[in-house]
Amino acid sequence: MRIELDRPRCEGHGLCEEAAPALMHLDDDGELVIDSPDVDGEQDIAAAKAAVRVCPVAALKLVAA
Amino acid sequence: MNPIESDVDIWDDDITVDPYPTYTALRDLGGVVHLPKNDLYAVTRYDLIRDVLADPASFSSTTLGFNPMVNEALQGTSLASDPPVHTQLRATLSANLTPRALRGLKVTIDEKADKLVAELVATGSFEAIDSLARAFPLDIVADLIGFSGHVKDNMLRWGQAAMQVIGPLNHRTQESFPIAGELYGWCSSVTAEDLAPGSIGRGIFDAEARGDIPQGSAGHIIHQYLGAGVDTTIASIGNIVALFGRHPEQLKLVRENPELVPAAFAEVLRYWTPLHIWGRTAVRDVELGGVTVPAGAQLGILLGAGNRDPRHYDNPDVFDVTRNPVDHLSFGYGPHGCAGQGLARLEGHAIVEALARRVKSLTLGDGYRVPSNITRSFEQLQVLEVEAA
Ligand code: HEM
Ligand code: SF4
Repeated sequence: MRIELDRPRCEGHGLCEEAAPALMHLDDDGELVIDSPDVDGEQDIAAAKAAVRVCPVAALKLVAA
Repeated sequence: MNPIESDVDIWDDDITVDPYPTYTALRDLGGVVHLPKNDLYAVTRYDLIRDVLADPASFSSTTLGFNPMVNEALQGTSLASDPPVHTQLRATLSANLTPRALRGLKVTIDEKADKLVAELVATGSFEAIDSLARAFPLDIVADLIGFSGHVKDNMLRWGQAAMQVIGPLNHRTQESFPIAGELYGWCSSVTAEDLAPGSIGRGIFDAEARGDIPQGSAGHIIHQYLGAGVDTTIASIGNIVALFGRHPEQLKLVRENPELVPAAFAEVLRYWTPLHIWGRTAVRDVELGGVTVPAGAQLGILLGAGNRDPRHYDNPDVFDVTRNPVDHLSFGYGPHGCAGQGLARLEGHAIVEALARRVKSLTLGDGYRVPSNITRSFEQLQVLEVEAA
């Protein structure tokens, strides 16, 4: 699976980082960086799904790679 | 299939004051319940509410208010527009409200909250709505937009009225229109010189002057900050005090575990939702939760009913600061998801933190809410005794 970010829509609320700190983080400028866009393995996929779910503006998607 | 009907009047005085038993009854009836008395389709369950809010192509925001006059007045705002127009309006609107834009404000907001709470605690007893729930956000928003004087004095009335008029054409809406009109009037006539240099409000006018945002949009943006950002935040801060007063063991948990501050604020927002009903219109016949919502139907999205949906939250009627319901619906969701949530969180976290630092326990006296169309908040809440930490 692959994490896709709608960059213009992302406002840096950072809730996704809290849900999936191993996969993404806000950099020093408050811009979201997806460290591991390609995810496989149960744990990472679960974390990616949680991140997609909590983004308050629906800026993240998990799509088939 | 047609949705089930209920003869509930969702704007009945008693229901707006205490909607939760009605929410439970409606949610049990169905995910979508037709309310002929209000000419509405109420959306009651968590998943369906998220689906509606995520789908602006089926559910339009252009008539999100519950009467035609307010929908007319909101034309041109991000709140009342659909993509693709919304996407652009939202970008200008949120540019000053993102967590990165607000980063510099955190220290000031934390300091102000701590000072105010310390003063109130020192008095030993206080009325929490005027002196805290209203005073704090009004002060923050005045600084942010850069106004003072008579505008600041009017902002509470204006902010309350701006929410009230989103309701149906009942007496509350009618009484509030002239007051909301004062806010519209001020926002359409305010100029850069009226706002303090260095404020975000002034910055929005500078952006307009530079041509970064369309001519005439600065007033709309300021209108939305004030209309959407005052009454809601006031409600949530009053609720913090009331819930900590009623649940001393929850305050104790936050005192002992300060890392719970964000979770505690999210739980306050989930447990008592500041905006109890919000609108959308079906642009065509849409299948929703197994029933058909007809084209043109007005939806009444019951955010507070979704926030207590047992299909989504375990023991939803329990106030639990360890729950951390990051996906609560109180800020809406998706493209229109609250643009000011970064600021609302800064304010809410600052107050929770200050209370947890300075207060051991609160003894509450009388508190009451008054019937209201959209915002559910305390009108008065007496703190009889504060035990300082
Ligand atoms: C606890 C406090 C708050 C709550 C509960 C709240 C709630 C909401 C909700 C439910 C929406 C979604 C509207 C929709 O889907 O149509 C919204 C939108 C919005 N909020 Fe908030 N809000 C809060 C604080 C603020 C603050 C402090 C500001 C600004 C200073 C603000 C500005 C806005 C704006 C501009 C929108 C419209 C966004 C759009 O249409 O794209 N809000 N808010
Ligand atoms: S939660 Fe959404 S808006 Fe916030 S940083 Fe992550 S992707 Fe961006």
